[in-house]
Amino acid sequence: MNELNYSPLTALLTFLGIVLLLFLLFRPGKGWFWLIQKNKESSRKVIIEDILKLLYHSENEEKSLNLVDITRTLKDPDDLIIDSINEMAEHELINLEGEHVKLTQAGSEYGLRIVRAHRLWEKFLAEKTGFAEADWHKIAEQKEHELSDADTDKLSARLGNPQFDPHGDPIPTNTGKMANVTGTLLSEMEVNSFGRIIHIKDKPDIVYRQILAENIHIGSHIRIVEKNANRVVFHSEGEAFVLAPIVAGNITVTELKKDVKVEENIARLSMLTEGETAEIIGISKEMRGESRRRLLDLGFVKGAKVSIELPNPLGEPKAFLIKGTSIALRNNQASKILILKD
Amino acid sequence: MNNVDNLINLSKDLRWQIGDDFHDNLAEGIYADAAEIVKDSVHKKDENKKLRLDATIDRIVTSRVWGFPIMFLILAVVLWLTIVGANYPSSMLATLLLDTVHPFLRSMAVAASFPAWLSGFLIDGVYLAVAWVIAVMLPPMAIFFPLFTLLEDFGYLPRVAFNLDYLFKKSGAHGKQALTMSMGFGCNAAGVVATRIIDSPRERLIAIITNNFSLCNGRWPTQILIATIFVGAVVPKAFSGIASLGAVIGIAVLGMAFMFFVSWGLSKTVLKGEVSTFNLELPPYRPPRFWKTIYTSLIDRTLIVLWRAIVFAAPAGAVIWLISNIHIGDLSIAAWSIDFLDPFGFLLGLNGVILLAYVVAIPANEIVIPTILMLTVMVTGISGGEGAGVMFELDSVTATGDILKAGGWTLLTAINLMLFSLLHNPCSTTIYTIYKETKSVKWTTIASILPVILGFIVTFLVAQIWRLF
Repeated sequence: MNELNYSPLTALLTFLGIVLLLFLLFRPGKGWFWLIQKNKESSRKVIIEDILKLLYHSENEEKSLNLVDITRTLKDPDDLIIDSINEMAEHELINLEGEHVKLTQAGSEYGLRIVRAHRLWEKFLAEKTGFAEADWHKIAEQKEHELSDADTDKLSARLGNPQFDPHGDPIPTNTGKMANVTGTLLSEMEVNSFGRIIHIKDKPDIVYRQILAENIHIGSHIRIVEKNANRVVFHSEGEAFVLAPIVAGNITVTELKKDVKVEENIARLSMLTEGETAEIIGISKEMRGESRRRLLDLGFVKGAKVSIELPNPLGEPKAFLIKGTSIALRNNQASKILILKD
Repeated sequence: MNNVDNLINLSKDLRWQIGDDFHDNLAEGIYADAAEIVKDSVHKKDENKKLRLDATIDRIVTSRVWGFPIMFLILAVVLWLTIVGANYPSSMLATLLLDTVHPFLRSMAVAASFPAWLSGFLIDGVYLAVAWVIAVMLPPMAIFFPLFTLLEDFGYLPRVAFNLDYLFKKSGAHGKQALTMSMGFGCNAAGVVATRIIDSPRERLIAIITNNFSLCNGRWPTQILIATIFVGAVVPKAFSGIASLGAVIGIAVLGMAFMFFVSWGLSKTVLKGEVSTFNLELPPYRPPRFWKTIYTSLIDRTLIVLWRAIVFAAPAGAVIWLISNIHIGDLSIAAWSIDFLDPFGFLLGLNGVILLAYVVAIPANEIVIPTILMLTVMVTGISGGEGAGVMFELDSVTATGDILKAGGWTLLTAINLMLFSLLHNPCSTTIYTIYKETKSVKWTTIASILPVILGFIVTFLVAQIWRLF
C-alpha cells in the first residue's frame, strides 16, 4: 500500500481537478467537447442551407437582403459565409444583383425543402417525443440539415401528412404546395372582437418563452378587452391575459364572424373548485400525441360531466370524478381541458 | 386510367381541404358517441352507500394531517414485520441447509471418495451459495410480498402515489414511483418488474434506473450488522441500539435522497426526449382476496425472483471457491486480486477484500458478508472460518466484529461499507430483470454503472474528508 506518500488533501484536489475538467468538457451547451463537435458540423452544406432558408423567409416577407444583412444574422465566421455565397452563385442557387442577394428558382425550391424538413421535425418532436416546447426549434435547426428528401417524405407520411407545424406555420408538401395562413396580428385586433389563435411565432426566443410561460395556446378562442399603446388585454378560456404590444405582435389570430357562437364562459378544468360540476367542452390543441389519447381513453371527452372527487394534501394532482371513475390529473394537464361550469 | 388519376387528385384535394383537425375530431366524435350510447343503455345499481364509505376512507388517508403519518406508519410496520419476522424462519433454514445438510453432504462426498477439489467445488462452492441465498432471501420475500400485495389489492397503494405525486413531479418522476421504490425495499428485481404500473415511458425508465437506491432485503441485514458492531460501539452502551438503528435508517433515507436527485438529473438530461404522460386511477376500495393474494404473490413474485437468484448464485459460489483455491505461484487468485485492489480500496476508505467480495457477490447481496468474512480470515491467517472458499457467518456479533477488526476495519471502513452497500451496482438478478423489462442494452448499462460511480465518488469523498480531520 502507498499510505506513506499519500495525503488526503492531494487526493481531494486531484479529484476536484478531474471533476472541473469533465465539467469544462461536457457542460451542457458550452462544453469544449460539444463546441468542437459543433464546429465540425458547421460545414459548408449547413451554412449554405441556413443562408437559403434566411433568403427564403425574407423574400416571403418581401424584404431583400444584402451581404451585410446575411453576415450579421448568421453566427458563422464571415469568411466562411462569403465563400459559401460564392459557391451558391456558381451553382446558380442565387443571383447577385449588386449588393442584393436573390434566390433563383432552384434556390427557392431548395430553401423550401429545408423549411419543410424543419417544420416536419418540429411536428414530430411535438407529437412523438417528450422534449419541452421551448427546445423544439433548436433541435429542428440541427436536424433539418440531416434529413434527406426520402427521410422527409417518410416522416411526413408517418405523421399523417400534417398541414401545420405546432406553431401554426404551414408545412409545404413535397410538391411545394402550402396552406394559406390569413390572419390578423393580435396587436392589431379591434377591441371587443372575437378570434381564434392560429399562429405563435417562435422567434425571438425571449418573446416566445414569455408566451409559453403565459400558457397561451394555439386554437384558443379569445376576446379583446382593452388595447392601447402599453398593453393588450384579452380574455380566453376564463382567464384574463395582459401582454405588451410587441409580444402580442408575435401571435396571429383569425377573426371569428359575429354569427359564430362564441362561448364566453369556457373555463379550464384546473379552475374548477370543490363542489362544482361542469361539462367538458374539449381538450386544448396543446395536449398532443400520447397524452391526448390517454385523456380520451380515460373518458375526458366532449359532453362528459366532471367534478372534483378528492383534493390533494400537497395541492396537486387532484382527483376528478369522470364517468364514475376517480382519475387524478396534474394541474398542467387539467389546465388544457376546457369546461363549461354548470 | 384517366379516371383513376382524377380520383386520386380529387382525394388529395379533399384531404387538403378537411385539414389537420380531421383525425382528432373523428376520434373525439367516436368517443362522444360511445358515451351517449352508454348513457342510454347501461343502468347502474345505486352504489351510493359504498361510495360514501370509500369517500370517508379517502378523506382520511389523503388528509393533510393524517395522510403522511398513516403512510409512514404502514411502511414502517411492513418493514419491521419483514425484518424481524424473517429472522426465525431464516435461522431455521440456515440451521437446516447450512449446519445440517452441508456437513451431511460433505460426509457423503467423503464416503463416496470424491476427490477434494470436486467436493469443494460442488458442495462448498455451488451448494453453499445456493443454500445461503435461499435461507436469507426466501423468508423476507415470503413475508414482504404478500403484505405488499394485500395493500395493493385493498386499493391503498394508489392513494400513496396520489399523496406523494407532487414530490415526485418535482424530480421529473411519477407518483407511482413511490410504490415501486417501496417494493424495492423488498427486492430491487421485483421493484423493477413493478414499474410496469407506470405507463409513461420516461417516468418508467426513471423508476427502473433509480430502483437500486432502495435498500433491499439482501442489504438490510448487512447494514444492521455493521451498524451494530461499529456505530453502536462509539456511543455509550445505553444508546448503542438507537445509534445503530439511526445509522441504518439514515442510510435508507440517504438512498431516497439519491433516488430523487438522480431522477431529477435523468429527466433533465438523457431522458429529456422520452415521451411523458401522467394519469393515476384511484380504484374503489375492496376487501382483499386473502388466499388468492398469498398464492399469486408467492408464485409470481417470490418464487420467480428466488429462482433467478439461485440461477445466478450457483456459478458465483463456484467462482468464490475457485478463486480461493486455485493458486498462482504461492498465492491464490483471491489473494492476488486483493493485493491488486487494496490501494484502490484504501483510497475509497474500504479495502481489497470488500471490493473483491462485491465483484464476486454480484449475484446476491446476501452473500457479501459471508464472502468478506471468509476472505478476511484467509488473507489475515487468523483462526476461524471453515477453510478457503467456504463462506461462513457467525452467530455472535462480537466474534464477527473481532474478525473484521483483525482485517483492519475501522469506523471509517464500516461507514463506507454501509454507503457502498447502498450505492453499488444492482445484483445480477436485477440487472437481468432490467434488461428483460427495457429490452435495451443502453439503459441496462446506465442502470448498472451509474450507482457504482456514485458509490465510488461518495466513499472517496467521505474517506478523504475523514482523514483530513
